[in-house]
Amino acid sequence: MSNFLLGLQNAFQPAMILLTFVGVAAGIAIGSLPGLTATMGVAVLLPLTFGMDATAALVLLVGVYIGAIYGGSISAILLRTPGTPAAAATVLDGNALLQKGQAAKALSISVIASFGGGIVSTIMLVTLSPLLASAALRFSTPEFFGLAVFGLTIIASISGGNPVKGLLAGCLGLIVAMVGMDPITSTPRFTFGIVKLMSGLNVIPVLIGLFAVSEVLSQMESIMRAQKKAAKITDHKIINRKELRQILPTILKSSLLGTFIGCIPGAGADIASFVSYNEARRSSKHPEQFGTGCLEGIAAPEAGNNGVTGGAMVPMLSLGVPGDAVTAILLGALTIQGIQPGPLIFQNNGPVVYGLFCTMFLGNIAMLIMGLSGIRLFSKIVEIPKQIILPIILALSMVGSFAINNNVMDMWVALIFGVIGYFMKKANIPSSPAVLAIILGPMAETNLRRSVIMYEGSFRFLWTRPITIAFLLLSVISMISVIRTTKRARERSARLAAEQQNAKNERDDTSHGQMEK
Amino acid sequence: MNLMKKTLALLLCLVLSTVAISVAYADYPEKTVQMTVPFAAGGGTDAVARALANVAEKYLGQSIVVVNTTGGSGAVGLTEGAYQPADGFYVTMITRELVTLPLNGLCSVTADNFELICNVNMDPGMVTVVADSPLKSLEDLLAAAKATPGSLKFASTATPNMYAYTIELDQDIIFNHIPFNGAAEAIPEVLGGHADFTITSPGEAISQVQGGQMRALAVMSEERLPSLPDVPTFKELGIDIVTGTWRGLAVPKGTPADVVEKLRDAFAKAVEDPEFVEFMNNAFLNIYYLNAEDFAAYIANDTEVASAIFSALE
Repeated sequence: MSNFLLGLQNAFQPAMILLTFVGVAAGIAIGSLPGLTATMGVAVLLPLTFGMDATAALVLLVGVYIGAIYGGSISAILLRTPGTPAAAATVLDGNALLQKGQAAKALSISVIASFGGGIVSTIMLVTLSPLLASAALRFSTPEFFGLAVFGLTIIASISGGNPVKGLLAGCLGLIVAMVGMDPITSTPRFTFGIVKLMSGLNVIPVLIGLFAVSEVLSQMESIMRAQKKAAKITDHKIINRKELRQILPTILKSSLLGTFIGCIPGAGADIASFVSYNEARRSSKHPEQFGTGCLEGIAAPEAGNNGVTGGAMVPMLSLGVPGDAVTAILLGALTIQGIQPGPLIFQNNGPVVYGLFCTMFLGNIAMLIMGLSGIRLFSKIVEIPKQIILPIILALSMVGSFAINNNVMDMWVALIFGVIGYFMKKANIPSSPAVLAIILGPMAETNLRRSVIMYEGSFRFLWTRPITIAFLLLSVISMISVIRTTKRARERSARLAAEQQNAKNERDDTSHGQMEK
Repeated sequence: MNLMKKTLALLLCLVLSTVAISVAYADYPEKTVQMTVPFAAGGGTDAVARALANVAEKYLGQSIVVVNTTGGSGAVGLTEGAYQPADGFYVTMITRELVTLPLNGLCSVTADNFELICNVNMDPGMVTVVADSPLKSLEDLLAAAKATPGSLKFASTATPNMYAYTIELDQDIIFNHIPFNGAAEAIPEVLGGHADFTITSPGEAISQVQGGQMRALAVMSEERLPSLPDVPTFKELGIDIVTGTWRGLAVPKGTPADVVEKLRDAFAKAVEDPEFVEFMNNAFLNIYYLNAEDFAAYIANDTEVASAIFSALE
């Protein structure tokens, strides 16, 4: 209790509250810029914290983490360019809603869902940490393989109504993911003797290419051909109470999903957002609306990815191992502060831990305040003339790609994938499945091969481990439900077309009749 | 406000001191020195580099900027470090990968491409099992491995794993190597009971060992670790294995001798600086200073040992 009070006291000093806001604001800016991810933001700011005390360091870094995971959705909605891989699923419905002129609604859903995800996961972290940690420990490589396979079936639900084209994009992603050193034996594959390709293609420059650069290219084309005016914001209303009540169950479910995925070491916000989107679509009464600006389609990935923020802290605090890439850096930050994260941290550094909890609550509140009050400002980006905004996006894309590893080659990767993405757009092939495959391909491959090694050459793990079986069954269910909804949607549109045709025919008939009279 | 004033004052001091120094000494180092770290920020190598760079600035009289160049398990950063201008403004943190990667054809530069400055840190391998494991001692573990060859599950932190191969060759046994990316992935496998044991640096598993979730069976150091006095060394148990991963500093080959001397001098002092020592102790990282000459001999010996292991594997 005294630890809790001390933590409270630490986190609620005016300077700390200010620092929380600074951290979250910096995070939102970092997250919304394509190429600057939560991981990178935290890594860049890490050296700044060496001179601070432990609580201040955590306040700043956790603020950036929370802000950046949310910030990615701003550019996903407004610019069709996910600021971070975790926002790739938000592009689908977020940008579709913007195209309908309802930018403010999309932005408000994203910040409210992110807030929900953050708060729910923090509550879970504070109350259920030991339980969640022991559940997470049941995940070994066969379970990760199951999770990755299940994740890959999500390709079907983010294919925008054409699973075959989605599959095509998914295969492209899997091929890209194969470049680099083979994860088990470290044998170089598809590297053409280039040292810099040995570590494989980083997902960020590929993401920037497929989304940002390709978007710039096709927008430039439409300017040159003087087609399609920029999306006008016709509706400045944010989400109303009825809509909020409608998406609340989705937010809650996605937050819990995100928290749990965050708990599992090795699975992070990117996977959580796709899984949440998939689940929201699967359980929805109107799955055919997903991809057309559906409110749940924005709420689910955003609640899911911010749910990871609390979840990822669970293994860090109770096991001393990171839950995702960001907590890996936080772990380093704590070590440098002379704090050993792990089972003893509650005893040895109680005030720091409770300070962290308070910071997470405060950070999410700060995010909600800034996100809601910033909607008007953010929306202005859409009104900037394309001739000005496009070069800025391109420049940011290049800076972001370079900054990942201080590597010029990554800029070429972004440009090349920009051209690929442009032609994919022309052919109506969605880019999200490619990104998902790049994230999950290595996970599936590595863990399949690892599991076979673990079982000394046998595939027994596929039917002897309950969690793995559950994931494989879920994959089958997910596939079947997608086939069903696609079929149903197709039938419905066919029926609609037929009805329209009939109506037209009738109109024609009557007009003919009139003519005869 | 106060913080801002302080920061401003600090900045001013920095600017003024840079000016002062550049006026006073026209020779090396007249500009910022870059330290290349071949691994990502937030990791162990990065932590050592940053702590050392921070302290060494005052002995070198110039600021040191840490740059992480990652990729290829360290190959990209090491290669880049070797081919930077040989003017003393590009220091590289070299690690054991400089020995193991070239032996496997995964990196084109070796220690011969560098002018060594000094070794900074050496962490011995430590064998750990989950707290309720039936393997109570190293003898149990070795006996289990002998009883069922190739079945004892070893959560490996890197491929190829030098520690496990050293034990296997010495004891004529075979483990089932399950490859993971670093201790952060390997430790949960052991905690969850999916793998029988792992071998990490002491700092990577200390919190689980001290927290009672894992048990350390033995370490590969000369003497017992001060932080874990109950854990025996391999030597005490009659197995002559003393090995570990090391981190040191180097500049590209061909750097002028007087510049190299200045760097050696500055970093020798920095390694002994109380601030650095305190940091290393807090992080359970072991300081192991070797001057350039001893460091070269150490690397030569490590290369010999490693190539013996790799050739035995083939």
